[in-house]
Amino acid sequence: MGCSSSVPDRASGRSGGLNPENSAADSKNLRVKLVLLGDSGVGKSCIVLRFVRGQFDPTSKVTVGASFLSQTIALQDSTTVKFEIWDTAGQERYAALAPLYYRGAAVAVIVYDITSSDSFAKAQYWVKELQKHGSPDIILALVGNKADLQEKRKVSVQDGTEYAEKNGMFFIETSAKTADNINELFEEIAKRLPRPTSS
Amino acid sequence: MSCGLSSLSSSDELDDFNPRTSPSTPPKPLEEELASLALTLPHPQLLSDQDDVNGVSDGFEADRSMFGIQQSDEEMRVGLVFEEHVGGNSVSVVEGATEGSDGAGVVWGRTNSEIEVDRPASPSSSGYAGERGSSSASSGRSEMDGVAEDEIQELRDDASDGENSNSVPSWVPGKRHGDEDDASISWRKRKKHFFILSHSGKPIYSRYGDEHKLAGFSASLQAIISFVEDGGDRVKWVRAGKHQVVFLVKGPIYLVCISCTEEPYESLRGQLELIYGQMILILTKSVNRCFERNPKFDMTSLLGGTDVVFSSLIHSFGWNPATFLHAYTCLPLAYGTRQAAGAILQDVADSGILFAILMCKHKVISIVGAQKASLHPDDMLLLANFVMSTESFRTSESFSPICLPRYNPMAFLYAYVHYFDVNTYLMLLTTNSDSFYHLKECRIRIETVLLKSNVLSEVQRSMLDGGMHVGDVPVDSLPRYRTTSHLGQQRAPSEFPERFKESNAGMGGPGGLWHFIYRSIYLDQYVSSEFSSPITSRQQQKRLYRAYQNIYASMHDKEIGPHKTQFRRDENYVLLCWVTQDFELYAAFDPLADKALAIKICNRVCQWIKDVENEVFLLGASPFSW
Repeated sequence: MGCSSSVPDRASGRSGGLNPENSAADSKNLRVKLVLLGDSGVGKSCIVLRFVRGQFDPTSKVTVGASFLSQTIALQDSTTVKFEIWDTAGQERYAALAPLYYRGAAVAVIVYDITSSDSFAKAQYWVKELQKHGSPDIILALVGNKADLQEKRKVSVQDGTEYAEKNGMFFIETSAKTADNINELFEEIAKRLPRPTSS
Repeated sequence: MSCGLSSLSSSDELDDFNPRTSPSTPPKPLEEELASLALTLPHPQLLSDQDDVNGVSDGFEADRSMFGIQQSDEEMRVGLVFEEHVGGNSVSVVEGATEGSDGAGVVWGRTNSEIEVDRPASPSSSGYAGERGSSSASSGRSEMDGVAEDEIQELRDDASDGENSNSVPSWVPGKRHGDEDDASISWRKRKKHFFILSHSGKPIYSRYGDEHKLAGFSASLQAIISFVEDGGDRVKWVRAGKHQVVFLVKGPIYLVCISCTEEPYESLRGQLELIYGQMILILTKSVNRCFERNPKFDMTSLLGGTDVVFSSLIHSFGWNPATFLHAYTCLPLAYGTRQAAGAILQDVADSGILFAILMCKHKVISIVGAQKASLHPDDMLLLANFVMSTESFRTSESFSPICLPRYNPMAFLYAYVHYFDVNTYLMLLTTNSDSFYHLKECRIRIETVLLKSNVLSEVQRSMLDGGMHVGDVPVDSLPRYRTTSHLGQQRAPSEFPERFKESNAGMGGPGGLWHFIYRSIYLDQYVSSEFSSPITSRQQQKRLYRAYQNIYASMHDKEIGPHKTQFRRDENYVLLCWVTQDFELYAAFDPLADKALAIKICNRVCQWIKDVENEVFLLGASPFSW
């Protein structure tokens, strides 16, 4: 990765790069860095905008670099989790720069489009990349988006489930268009977050 | 990941690397002589222009006449020296222009090829040399495949004639006519094509049509370029009937424009340079390495999703003077307001930010740069175009790698982008890929100060009030005191909307002045008047813009220029240009305007701009080096 060489001062103890400072503030109020990865056009931005703003815009807007958004959710055990979300661009030219965004992330959400086998292959590429270069204890979620387009489905639920299980990932199918399973995705992630032991 | 674009930025490298000069320009090429030869038969209208000019100049000494402008006011030292190049025999005949070239009607422009034509007896008095093209050739049949084989008619694709009176016309983002290819009649009728291709002939970008379907056409373009290159030569342009084909070779990247818009070669070449710059802004020049590794590398995927960036840039070639003036423009603001914005930007820039830029659409509110760092106006144009044309920047704050081609074409910088409102946005550029959270904090500080000091509301107000109106050119000889109103207007437009409307609907300004552009050479900035009646439709604005572009090219023509002044009358306008050490003025008047009066009005305009310069320009504390 050419990118890592460009930041010589990263290892020298600067405050965590693109990671929020003082992450995981206390046991009741968690703060977590989450990155979305996946092929272009699978709906990463749509998932984020549905989750953060409750909106869905059918006109496709290509993400450039990465957009930063945050959203806080409250869990039933009265803890709150603030997601600091990096919605990355899916274009090939940004692939080399992806470490900039996933470095230090506690959660990576890898998205594919259930109507595109290519995007499923690309998702597997990202899983391997993160297993190699991501944080060792990163939580990986595999998301099959556009679940509303059943008639055009190319990737079966079983394929998704099997691949996720093999790689120790959490799997869910969503539709940003209908909002189906979007909140569930983030709630499930929140539940899996390690809680700080000391308070 | 077939091509890893590595980011190479290191602050040391960037500090030292501070190019201001454009890529090496070859010594004055013979091509320019050829270019002037293309003017075999001037447009009839052009002939009458010359008659007119000559007629006017009869009463003066050989080729220099002075219009002394006596002002009662001693302060008014602006005097316009009018210089005319009387070239009565400007119609030069090209001998054998078509001999030796591949087909009748095709004129080849080369850097160092043998000359096949005689030099013209004297350059045309019209600065339009080379721009009108050889009308004798237009009837000739070209053998260039796919360029002019069919009878090509101009297609009026600006359907919005007479409807849109905004200065920045409505424009549909993204690629249009993506279903076309070179076999489509509609594709062939497009007035202006732009192509990017690789040195192996693979299409990278096409303004119209599907790149993949244009593989064959792209290969033909490549063949032309390499055919000439094999002879140790370089093709710069080809004329085929009404069409001009302009080539630009940038290492493994070839850029081609095919146009029947009659724009000068220099303008089209400049546009290709900008398109190349836009590509570098997205990818850096390190993309060349992909071609070193694999000459047949397919680059289209690397530019995925950027159609809209290029189409927006190409669109701006038709309305944004910055694309040929190589200068930027500011949003008119009270001096104090701009100072307040500059102060807070300076404050954050001291904390390791390379450039802090606050803009409203394509107009600058303020810019601050780190010490020794300078930002080229072309880089600003490309950066603003990139940000404005990309919808995702409006959705939320973003952090994206970008490259400033004139600053360092090899390295990525990181841009933090945030919109304060629909039109106003902040860009913070840094070499440090880890500084997102720092930049975010800076933005919050900036936003707080801008809100507190009402800068953002002043920006909105300025957007509504608009810039300089030709109707406001001071005509009285009363001494003008520093007025407190917006740009020295005698009224506050927002308080008298009726009056405001009325002046907009009037017939331009005094002396038949319709529009002007003033470029300050030291500041790298320009200011242009708002469009007013009768230049109201999109079509009319574009035509005037093209006329400016032509006259700009002729003023800066290396062969017959540069000129100090030029007065040109045709059926559409009187255009008056005046270039001094400090500024360039381009003014358009009613075609029936009186010459002496027009000159007088130009002096008034210059004085007016001097009076309001601290509102219309960003003065001092600028990152531009000079």
